[in-house]
Amino acid sequence: MAKLVKIALAGEGGQGVQSVAGILVDAAYDEGKEALYIPNFGVEQRGGVSIAFCQISDERIGAPKFEKADIVIALSDRAVRRCAQYAGPETVFLYDASITGIEDDLPGPPVKVLGIPALKVAKDELHPRVFNVVILGATIKATGVMTLDQVKKALEKKLGYKFEQNPELRELNYKALERGAELIGAVL
Amino acid sequence: MAEKPIQGEKRVFMTGNEVVAWGALAAQADIMYGYPITPQNEIMHYWSRLAPKHGKKFLQTEDEISAGFTTIGGTIIGARAFTGTSGPGNTLMQEPMSMAEMYRVPAVFIIQQRGGPSTATVIYSQQEVTLTTFGGNGEGYRIVYSTATHQELFDYTIKAFNTAWKHRFPTFVLADGYQAKMREPLTIYDPEAKGIEMVPTVPTLGKEGVPGVDRPPVHMTNTRNTEEELYEVVKGLQAAYEEMWPEVEEHEAVECEDAEIIIVCHGVVTRSARVAVSQLREAGIKAGYFRPITLRPFPVEPMKQSIKGAKQLLMVESAQGQLARLVKDSIYGSTIPIEPMFRPGIGISSEEIVEKVQSLIK
Repeated sequence: MAKLVKIALAGEGGQGVQSVAGILVDAAYDEGKEALYIPNFGVEQRGGVSIAFCQISDERIGAPKFEKADIVIALSDRAVRRCAQYAGPETVFLYDASITGIEDDLPGPPVKVLGIPALKVAKDELHPRVFNVVILGATIKATGVMTLDQVKKALEKKLGYKFEQNPELRELNYKALERGAELIGAVL
Repeated sequence: MAEKPIQGEKRVFMTGNEVVAWGALAAQADIMYGYPITPQNEIMHYWSRLAPKHGKKFLQTEDEISAGFTTIGGTIIGARAFTGTSGPGNTLMQEPMSMAEMYRVPAVFIIQQRGGPSTATVIYSQQEVTLTTFGGNGEGYRIVYSTATHQELFDYTIKAFNTAWKHRFPTFVLADGYQAKMREPLTIYDPEAKGIEMVPTVPTLGKEGVPGVDRPPVHMTNTRNTEEELYEVVKGLQAAYEEMWPEVEEHEAVECEDAEIIIVCHGVVTRSARVAVSQLREAGIKAGYFRPITLRPFPVEPMKQSIKGAKQLLMVESAQGQLARLVKDSIYGSTIPIEPMFRPGIGISSEEIVEKVQSLIK
């Protein structure tokens, strides 16, 4: 693992990228790592591109934002366009395969650009509401900063009270996490 | 007395606004007055959630002018009081801030800078430096701490109350939208456990006893009748300000001794400068950084000392030269060339600084 991992997660406001980022850095912090997360959005209540800048490291972290990410995850057409600027030669650029009309906006080589069917998997196999957890699983796998078990602990911390009321939700979320990781395993 | 909000010390992972609320609680603040504005809102949210559990109070006012004046009112009767604001709210609050200078009111203000002018962005900038240091009518008799990390945000929130109450000038913690919204680890603590004693608060008005009988009456006025009278008052304020200056000024100078190029920055940009300097040093470039922690009073002598061997200064800020104006005024007479790197309203990464320094060295 590299000493510092920089992640830019972007989607439409309401898609849950900020929640995913929150769980991700919580898990990292609980594992004793340095973590920094900063949300970025405009004045609108809903809609608009919402970006989460996350950094996880073994050492003290510098500026809250960065020039180029190790991993970019873009979940809407606008997010793809907005986040192309964070892709550099070392970046893995992930986007949801269902997004259309962005063929000309995706960053070109040497950026590694990969489409993953996260939305489809969430809709067809799981539940649309766990789309962001699928993304969380994909992020974990793509960065390799933590194990799925460590993230499950963080999920438990955040959603444990809901899981208590409905244990099926736990199953669903864990499944979503694992499916997300598998999607990355298949393309990377 | 309610149980201490923090026992000993504790490692936490939270947003900067939450850090400020905990800092004020640890500093035994009695009350926050405030009016919502992004990116400062959550100071109020967290404070109003924490305060009742610890016997503290919160008052939401009708606007920022009122939030400023009520903070002064609370402070005058001896409450450890504070408020927080940002951007256009900071503009509105200048009148009470200026009154606090005239009355020597030890009120504490937390500023989370957003973009300007006007509504602009709710995200981030360093464009409230001029406003926070010299915003009122008058001479800027204020103390302004500019923080870079969540740890400093906690430390200086506590310190702001003590500096204010010891020296009786309005005191500011100047952070920004990034610091307000980002989450990072820090250690929060009970000041007493660290040997920090809170300076006791005393009422100016509403003291015990009958005025004129048991004690002399207190007469507060911010109105002066003649030019000469005002001149004496301002000269008195100036003398008091100059007296506390050396005790209060703070700075950080890193790798400046042998540096050929010194990055000058403040606040959150310091984080990028820190990373940049370590990368540049690894590449064999003699770089350092100087950072005023107090923007007011400015660490004039330490800065002159730190930069004297440098061949060039690189001024880096997320504003169009607001820090640069303070710096140039302070180092008047120095002939070291200054290269500006002004990025109004936008974040500055360590990569950009490294690139700029490398282009200057060539």
